[in-house]
Amino acid sequence: MKALLKDRRSAVDLAVWGGLAALPLFMGAWQVGQIAQYLTYGIFAMSLALIWGQCGLLSFGHAVFFGLGAYAMSLTTLGMLPGWLESWTSSYLGVALALAVPAVVANVLGRFLFYGRGLQGAQLAIVMLAVAVVAERIMTRWGYAGGMNGLMSVPPVNLGAFGLVYELYDPLPLFYGTLIAALAVYILLEALVRSRRGVVLRAVGADEARTGFLGHDTRSVKLAVFTLSAAVAGFAGALFAGQFGFVSPPLIGFSLSTEVLIWVALGGRRALITAFLGAIVVRLAENALGDLLGPAWLLGLGLLFVLCMIFLPRGLLGEVYARVTGGAGVR
Amino acid sequence: MDQALLLLLDAANYVLVIVLVAMGLVIVFGLMRVINMAHGELFLLGAYTLVMLQQAGVSYWVGLVAAPLLVGGVGLLMEELVIRHIYHRFLDTILATWGLSIIIKQGVILLFGPGAQSTTAPFTAQLDLLGSSYPAYRLFIMGVALFVVAGTFYLFFRTRFGLAARAVIANRDTAACLGLSTRAFDRATFAYGAALAGLAGAVMAPIMSVDPQMGLGFLIPAFLSILVGGAGHLGGPVLGAGLIGATDSVTASLWSPVLAQVVVFTMAVIAIRIFPTGILGGGRK
Repeated sequence: MKALLKDRRSAVDLAVWGGLAALPLFMGAWQVGQIAQYLTYGIFAMSLALIWGQCGLLSFGHAVFFGLGAYAMSLTTLGMLPGWLESWTSSYLGVALALAVPAVVANVLGRFLFYGRGLQGAQLAIVMLAVAVVAERIMTRWGYAGGMNGLMSVPPVNLGAFGLVYELYDPLPLFYGTLIAALAVYILLEALVRSRRGVVLRAVGADEARTGFLGHDTRSVKLAVFTLSAAVAGFAGALFAGQFGFVSPPLIGFSLSTEVLIWVALGGRRALITAFLGAIVVRLAENALGDLLGPAWLLGLGLLFVLCMIFLPRGLLGEVYARVTGGAGVR
Repeated sequence: MDQALLLLLDAANYVLVIVLVAMGLVIVFGLMRVINMAHGELFLLGAYTLVMLQQAGVSYWVGLVAAPLLVGGVGLLMEELVIRHIYHRFLDTILATWGLSIIIKQGVILLFGPGAQSTTAPFTAQLDLLGSSYPAYRLFIMGVALFVVAGTFYLFFRTRFGLAARAVIANRDTAACLGLSTRAFDRATFAYGAALAGLAGAVMAPIMSVDPQMGLGFLIPAFLSILVGGAGHLGGPVLGAGLIGATDSVTASLWSPVLAQVVVFTMAVIAIRIFPTGILGGGRK
C-alpha cells in the first residue's frame, strides 16, 4: 500500500517534468526563453523549500546565496577574478565558484547562528534579513563589481571544453539545458528528501529537541542542509547570470528574497516539485498581470500570501498535490 | 570635544528610538510568542499619519497624539483578523505578519506614491549646549522616548495590569486558570506594541525623509538589539539597542554608514554565538 502511494507521487512528478519538456511545442521562441529564466527561479525555490519545508529553517535573505552565485559566475566569465585567475574564464569554473562561495558563506554563518536560542530559534530568519540588506548595500557600493549599475554583458554558459565553444544562447537549447539542470537538482534533492536523512530533516523541523534526544546531532544536520541549500541557490544564480547576461545588486538583496518566499509559500513548501512550480506559475502570472496592476499586483500577492498562511499552509499547488498523491511523503 | 558631545547626543537619540521600536516587538513576543515582521511598517504608518495630517493642515501635536492611536487600532485589527487564527503556528505567524508588512507597504505606495514625503518639526530652535548648538527637536525626541520607555517599565513592573501581564508571559496556561483573560491581554499588548511603533514613526518623521521603505531600516536594528540583549526581559532590548545603536552611529559618523552596518551585523552574529539567549538571557527554557 505504502509503495503504491509512493508510486503515485512519482507518477505525478514524472508527468510534471514531461509536461515541462513538452512546453516548447506550444510556445513561441520568446516565451520559451522566458520560461527558461523562470526555471532558474524554480531551482532557487527548491533550495529554499529544502531548508524551510523539510527542516523548518526560515530564511528572509535567501537571495544572498543566489546573488553570490550570480556574481561569482559573472566575475569569472568576465575575466574579473583577481591575479593569475584572471585568464580562467571557463563557465565550469564559474559554476564551481557559484557553488562553493555561497556554501562557505552559509556554513560560516550557520556555525554562529545555529547556536542562538533567543526568539525561539528564529535567529536565522531575522539575521538573514539583515544579511540581505547589508549585502545589497555592499554590492551597490563596490565599484569593481559594477556598483549600482551591476555587471553587464555577462557571457552565456559555455558548455564546450578544450577550446571548443558551445554556448547556451538560443532559446531552445537554453530551455532544455536549464530544464536538464533543474531535473538534475530535483533528482539529487528528492533523493535526499526520500532517504533516511530526509526523515531526520523533517524530524528536526517537527521537533528539534526530541530529535536530539534520539541521538541525532541536530545542529550539524541543520548546518549541512543549510550549506547544501546555499550551494543550490548559488547554482541557480549562476545559470541566471548566464541567461540574463546582467547582474545587479537587487539580485542579492531584500526584494528577491521576498519574492522567493512568496513563490515557495504559494506553490507549497512541503514538496520540492510544488515549490519549483510555484516559482514558475507566480512569475507567469506576474508577467500577465504585473503591468496591468502596477503596485496593486504586489498588494494582491501579499493578501493572497496572508490568506494562504491562515487557511492553506501547504500552499495552493501543495494542497492539490497532497490531495492527488494522497499526502504520501508530504506532511 | 564639541564633536564628541554631538556624536554622543546623536547616538543617544538613535538608541532611544530603536528602544521604542524594539520594546513593542519584545512585549508582543513575550506575551504571544509572535515575531511581528510588520512592526517596521507600523513605524511607517505612524510617520505617514503625521504626513497625512500635516498635509491636511492639522497641527503637529494632533498628529503626534493621533499616530499611536491610529496605529494601535491597526495593530488591534491585525491581531483580530490574522494573528489570532495562527498564533500557535510559530513560523506561520512570522510569515503572515511579513505578508501584512507587504500589504501595508504597497497600500502606502498606492496612496502616497513611492517617493519621499516630508514633514515639518513643530519648532526649529537650536539650543546652546556647552558651546555647541544642537536642534531642540532632537532633544524633544529623546525626552518623548525616555518618557515612554520609563512609562512602559512602570506599567509592567509597578501596576496590577503589569503584574497580570507578566503572569501571562511567565505561564500562559496557569494565568488562564487563575482567571486572567489571555485573549484580552493579547489584544491589549498587540495594540500597545503597535502604538509604540506608531509613536516612534511620528516622532522621527520630521528629521528624516519619509518613504515607503523606511520601516526596514528600524526593524532590523530593533531585531538585532533583541537578539543581542535577550528577549526574556524588558531590559534586554534596552541593553541591546544601547550596544547596537551606539556602535552604529559612532561607526557611521567616523567612517561610513555601510561599514557601520557591516560592523553592527558582525557584532550581533558574534554576540548570538557567545550568548545564545541574549546577554540578559531568555528568562525561560
